[in-house]
Amino acid sequence: MAFLLFALLFLGVLYLHFFFAHRAWRTIRGRQSLELDMGYVRMENYFSHSFRRKLKQWLDTPPMAQEAGPGVRVYDHGRERIYVTGEVRYPAGRVEREMVVSEGPFACGPNCDFQNEVMVRGDGEVGEGSTLQAIAADGTLRLGEGVTIRRWVDAAGKLTIEADTTIYSRATSRTAIAFLPGASAQSLFAPEIVTEGRDDEPAEVSLWPSGVVLIPHNEDGTAQAESGYDSARLFSMGGGTYLYEGNLEVTAPLHVRASLVVRGSFSCGGESLLEGDLKAYGKIAIGQGSMVKGNLVAQGDLVLCPYVYFQGLLQAGGEMRISRGGRGVRSGLPVAAHATGVLTLESNVVIYGKVSSAERVLAVSTPMAWLQAGRPKAGGQ
Amino acid sequence: MVLSMLLLGAYALRHYYLGYTRMHLEHPREMNEFVGFVMPRVTVLVPMHNEEKVAHDILQALVKCDYDWELLEVIPINDRSTDGTRGIVEDFARRYPFVKPYHRTEGAGGKPAALAEASRLATGEIFLLFDADYVPGPAVLKMLTAPFADPEVGAVMGRVVPHNIGDSVLSVLLSLERCAGYQSAQQARFNLGFTAQFGGTVGGVRASALRAVGGWNPESLTEDTDLTMALLLNGWRTAYVNRAECYEEVPRSWAVRQRQLSRWVTGHTECLHNYWPDLAQARFLSRREKIDAIFLLGMYLTAPLIVVGWVASLVLFFIPSAHVVPVLPVAMLIIGYLLFSNQATFFEIGVAALLDGTRTRALLMPLSLLNFFANTGAICSALGRFYWHRVWGSGGDGWYKTHRTRQGGEGPDAGAAPEPAGAARRSVRGLYYADGGGERG
Repeated sequence: MAFLLFALLFLGVLYLHFFFAHRAWRTIRGRQSLELDMGYVRMENYFSHSFRRKLKQWLDTPPMAQEAGPGVRVYDHGRERIYVTGEVRYPAGRVEREMVVSEGPFACGPNCDFQNEVMVRGDGEVGEGSTLQAIAADGTLRLGEGVTIRRWVDAAGKLTIEADTTIYSRATSRTAIAFLPGASAQSLFAPEIVTEGRDDEPAEVSLWPSGVVLIPHNEDGTAQAESGYDSARLFSMGGGTYLYEGNLEVTAPLHVRASLVVRGSFSCGGESLLEGDLKAYGKIAIGQGSMVKGNLVAQGDLVLCPYVYFQGLLQAGGEMRISRGGRGVRSGLPVAAHATGVLTLESNVVIYGKVSSAERVLAVSTPMAWLQAGRPKAGGQ
Repeated sequence: MVLSMLLLGAYALRHYYLGYTRMHLEHPREMNEFVGFVMPRVTVLVPMHNEEKVAHDILQALVKCDYDWELLEVIPINDRSTDGTRGIVEDFARRYPFVKPYHRTEGAGGKPAALAEASRLATGEIFLLFDADYVPGPAVLKMLTAPFADPEVGAVMGRVVPHNIGDSVLSVLLSLERCAGYQSAQQARFNLGFTAQFGGTVGGVRASALRAVGGWNPESLTEDTDLTMALLLNGWRTAYVNRAECYEEVPRSWAVRQRQLSRWVTGHTECLHNYWPDLAQARFLSRREKIDAIFLLGMYLTAPLIVVGWVASLVLFFIPSAHVVPVLPVAMLIIGYLLFSNQATFFEIGVAALLDGTRTRALLMPLSLLNFFANTGAICSALGRFYWHRVWGSGGDGWYKTHRTRQGGEGPDAGAAPEPAGAARRSVRGLYYADGGGERG
């Protein structure tokens, strides 16, 4: 009897497995998978773009009869409302829970709190110490000192992010972003990103100084060992790419004529020229006044010393620092720099593209004395 | 028996480890940040042999992809088709200047031979590959090119997602299997720093790296696995991009599935025999990378080992001499071990279903037993033929094209109206949406 009961129980449990499986199959039968978004296209200002499109739909509905004040239209959007005004100037300390659309210029005094998105059809100015959920502007936008943006910020015109402002997600502009010391964001994307103290006088650097180390080496490669390059550790992977075993820390200027994978850390002297892509399993440090034409991929930290020009992508598995005078530009496509750790931008850095970090991008001030003293002056190519 | 148990145990542990790792180790997303910032000249290769049922869908999807047309070349490889494939391909070539068909009328059959010939005509720095039954989304090309910013990356693999899950029980079971293979195993191995497996479709290879390792191996039945290993031995890596997803059509009948599996088993095991001595001595690989690569190539050998385990268990149970040893502990050991090993793959499926959020499909896991037994039989049979061929020199499996059942216009993007002839060339280098209507600036 006990055996019979046990057997029935066992069969019952077994049946339940297949019962649920069969029921699930009846739900799926004849269907196609719809789990992929076949319209997805990655765009850097996706959040603001999505917000603008949704807002347009919401505002297509008729406004409520009730008015919140003279010249203010109110739209009902589920649990929240949208206030549409003309030019608007909020006093200091204003707390606003609803979504705000300004059809002209927008300004708010210090320490305001906008708990929902703000859309500005003209130019915008946010007072110091204010907190916003997100803001999109069709004109220029200035975020005062110590502003906090809980999500994203987007401007069609120039976006100025003053000192000590924090943006927890993306900052985008179709024109330019000025990113001042102490400000931080998760990512910045604009045709031009500039930190304080921009100096547009072209730096003259010599890319063919004497004592240059060549990789791949010429026949006299052994003579370059004293600079830190051991030609016996260099192997061809084919396809114009080389692999270097161990650390490659060259004290002299370096001219890399191919793509290179360094299974260790990499550093090179000032005024080096890297023509191909470079990857290092450890840290990468590029000497002052160097030119990087390819991409740099470091599994550890990545440091660009002052006045380094780069024309590709920078990626660091650790932290990244772009020192004063750094320039990122290439023709046809924007450049990009991404770090898993903190990405620090010093003064007088100009990047035509994007900087992002899994933690935060931080602007720091470089003393003016350094800015003036460290600039390469040598003539050359 | 002991060897069989040890090997199966090792594979079981591997499955559990990969599943656990996938759940707990964050995967590197850095290259996703570069989507749209890496825009090399790309050649998309689409081998087609009698693909009139599906050719339109993939070509339509490719011309709608978000990639600069000036940097794009699509080569549909019409490989000796006798149906309407040529007409469909030529129609697209007339309308889109970057679609450049290549018609094969002679030469060895099969995808590797077709790829080898067409690759010589390709002008891209990166070759992207799609099978004819695949339907890529508009973002896939940019996602697949982004990892090539890393000079060590020789190839990139995206993720395959079956769309015809409701066609048959087999289709939905295969969707679970694919889910485990990509979402769990591929991603976990990539997270752990191992090279991903290039699958020959929804993927890409750096043209210079391909040439450096001698191109596609037309002798191999799995030219993709062959290429993965050749690249690895030369210091190149294969990256995996889980977000680069693409729909495919999976077999809906067991007969088609068996023939597909048979080709994979033969090609894979051939690669094991060709590459394991070089892998064992590879200078640029660490010990754990060597072990992982050999485990990857030897995975189909687990099927006959499982059968050996079952047979040995039966023999042990029935032969009188087995009773000399303490029967119960041995039996418990074998049963416990078999349970542990057999469940390992299901654990991986469970992990992947959990991550994908496909709860309904996860309930079908008990039916995976059917797939498990069918796979075991098909793999043993294919391996039998493979080793018979190696020993006696005859009877090996040849190239087999997977049978398509989809009718034209049934795909996931069906109903999309084709663009008119002479449609405006679009440049999508911009990464910034213009405000308002959604057009790009």
